[in-house]
Amino acid sequence: MKLLLKLAWRNIWRNKRRSILTLTAITFATLSAVAMRGVQIGTYNVNIKNAVEMFSGYIQIQRDGYQKNPSLNKAFRITDEIRNALNTTPRIKSYTTRIHAQGLISFKDNSQGAAIFGIDPQTEKEVTHLLDRIDEGSFFNSAGSKEIVIGAKLLGNLNAEIGDTVVILSQGFDGALGNQKFIISGTAKFGSPEFDAMGVFMGIESANDLLSMYGNIHALVINLNSLDEIETVRNNLNEKISDRKLAVLSWGEVMPDLKQSIEFDNISGVFFLLILIVIVAFGILNTVLMSVTERFNEFGVTLSIGMPQLKLVYLVLMEIIFITIIGIVLGDIIGGIINYYIVQNPIELGSELGWIYEEYGFLPQIQSTMERSIFINTSITVFVISVLSSIYPLVKVYRLEPLKGIRYT
Amino acid sequence: MEIIRTEKLEKIYQDNGVPVKALDDVDLTINTGDYVVIAGPSGSGKTTLLNLIGALDKPTSGKIFFESEDISKKTKKELSEIRLNKLGFIFQAYNLIPVLTAIENIEFSMMLLGVPEKERTERALAIMDELEIKELADKRPNEMSGGQQQRVAVARAIVNNPTIVLADEPTANLDSKTGSNLLDLMEQMNKEKNITFVFSSHDKQVIERAKRLIILKDGRIE
Ligand SMILES: Nc1ncnc2c1ncn2[C@@H]1O[C@H](COP(=O)(O)OP(=O)(O)OP(=O)(O)O)[C@@H](O)[C@H]1O
Ligand SMILES: [Mg+2]
Repeated sequence: MKLLLKLAWRNIWRNKRRSILTLTAITFATLSAVAMRGVQIGTYNVNIKNAVEMFSGYIQIQRDGYQKNPSLNKAFRITDEIRNALNTTPRIKSYTTRIHAQGLISFKDNSQGAAIFGIDPQTEKEVTHLLDRIDEGSFFNSAGSKEIVIGAKLLGNLNAEIGDTVVILSQGFDGALGNQKFIISGTAKFGSPEFDAMGVFMGIESANDLLSMYGNIHALVINLNSLDEIETVRNNLNEKISDRKLAVLSWGEVMPDLKQSIEFDNISGVFFLLILIVIVAFGILNTVLMSVTERFNEFGVTLSIGMPQLKLVYLVLMEIIFITIIGIVLGDIIGGIINYYIVQNPIELGSELGWIYEEYGFLPQIQSTMERSIFINTSITVFVISVLSSIYPLVKVYRLEPLKGIRYT
Repeated sequence: MEIIRTEKLEKIYQDNGVPVKALDDVDLTINTGDYVVIAGPSGSGKTTLLNLIGALDKPTSGKIFFESEDISKKTKKELSEIRLNKLGFIFQAYNLIPVLTAIENIEFSMMLLGVPEKERTERALAIMDELEIKELADKRPNEMSGGQQQRVAVARAIVNNPTIVLADEPTANLDSKTGSNLLDLMEQMNKEKNITFVFSSHDKQVIERAKRLIILKDGRIE
């Protein structure tokens, strides 16, 4: 067995140029796959993290069906069981509660539609960066405050100024219309028209009052350390919360649009890589076929002296596997270095490109990742493709008749 | 003792649809200890006959008995096993695996038989000693002369103690002195170890030294 390995190894270096060419192709395929996937997934991750920490949180608990079809009365109370689940589930950093409603905001003759968010500023700031979105003025700091923060555009649309008193009108939990006066303490900017032109943030206790929620809420927003903790925490919560009317949702379910656009982009990336790898596969097919055909006379002699056909196939396969593994390892190392470098030095896009990114709600930053799955998946794919593209030459070896080989002499 | 016997052996090749009769009605017996030369002009069927006896090809009709067993109907795999276990081959050229050294080439055929590594090396060294080619042990084929390569090929052919060694024009690529030395060697192996040799050749030297001469003409034994 050792002699066969030695033979395979030396055969590789017999035609150095060709082997190095094959090796380069495999290395290149691996490293570009690793680097491209790294940038793709790394950039997705920062964007998701950004979006999640901006407002949605990693996980939300809602009434089942609220996400698809929100309505004021799909609300729930935080029971002891829920509180207990939140406090005993590891990896949960913090959580906060919210009330959501639709209403009207009026200043003098002006009325505008309002998306009302009742939040608790003290816990909210432990979960999201919502409070950092303040543009002018300041955020109220208690849940029962009579101050509100509204979208920057909304302020303009109302022709109001910070410090003005507005009236907010909304239908309450019990069906009755409620209206209350609030003072605008500041404006917030998100870059999303929905929030900037409609967002109204008030203390959760004030919202509870205005909407007669009697302590019911619409969302419990949970903060974690990283995206890959989501599944575990979610399963954990699902086990601990017996109320089947509640749903534990991940960011992807809370922001389906973001998730979809990422998935779409991801598919196009994978597709591009497949094309690259198929091209490399043809290269491998070609060089292996050449190296095999060239040695038919030699193979003929070895078959004549009684080498089993399969052992010969095995020998050639080993040569291919050697080259492939070296190529993959080199590609993983170089790709890893590239990814590591980008992780340490994310590429900030210049203002022009950056603007386009922001328009679509993405961060103007290119980031990478050292996620192990990228290396593993790439290596397996390249390996399989390399072996697959050698099948045809291997079949030729398997079918070779000793005499056919010798006759080349 | 009889090793090989052929009965009414016939081989017809198809050459672009045209049948070419390469062997016709060949009856031949080879016994242990024989030192046979098959001679004849080019195209007379020497290689064809050697290939059939060497289990490298199948006859169109007729029978080949190898140690009393008919091998004309055996499968590719069975023939390969017979070659590995019972036969030694020396070809005209490209005998050795280019990336292996002389000793590794000799070990290679023992490896195929599953001889353990240590024994392999010992036996290879012993046979090289006997053939006086020990100094070639670590040389690769491209570092050896044609005669040296053929001596290593002889060592590889006989190291597994085959029942019979077949050599198709082993001296064709050698000058007459080197060829003569190679023949000395094989003759010596035949005498000392009673190894059976069958050659094909149109080299005068080889034919002169034959203990038994078989002359082929147009595929028939004369
Ligand atoms: N694979 C083949 N296909 C078609 N015809 C063949 C094939 N092999 C041999 N022949 C023909 O069979 C005949 C015998 O060939 P063979 O090679 O056995 O002769 P030979 O005596 O070994 O000749 P040489 O001294 O030139 O080596 C020749 O006419 C040759 O052309
Ligand atoms: Mg011939």
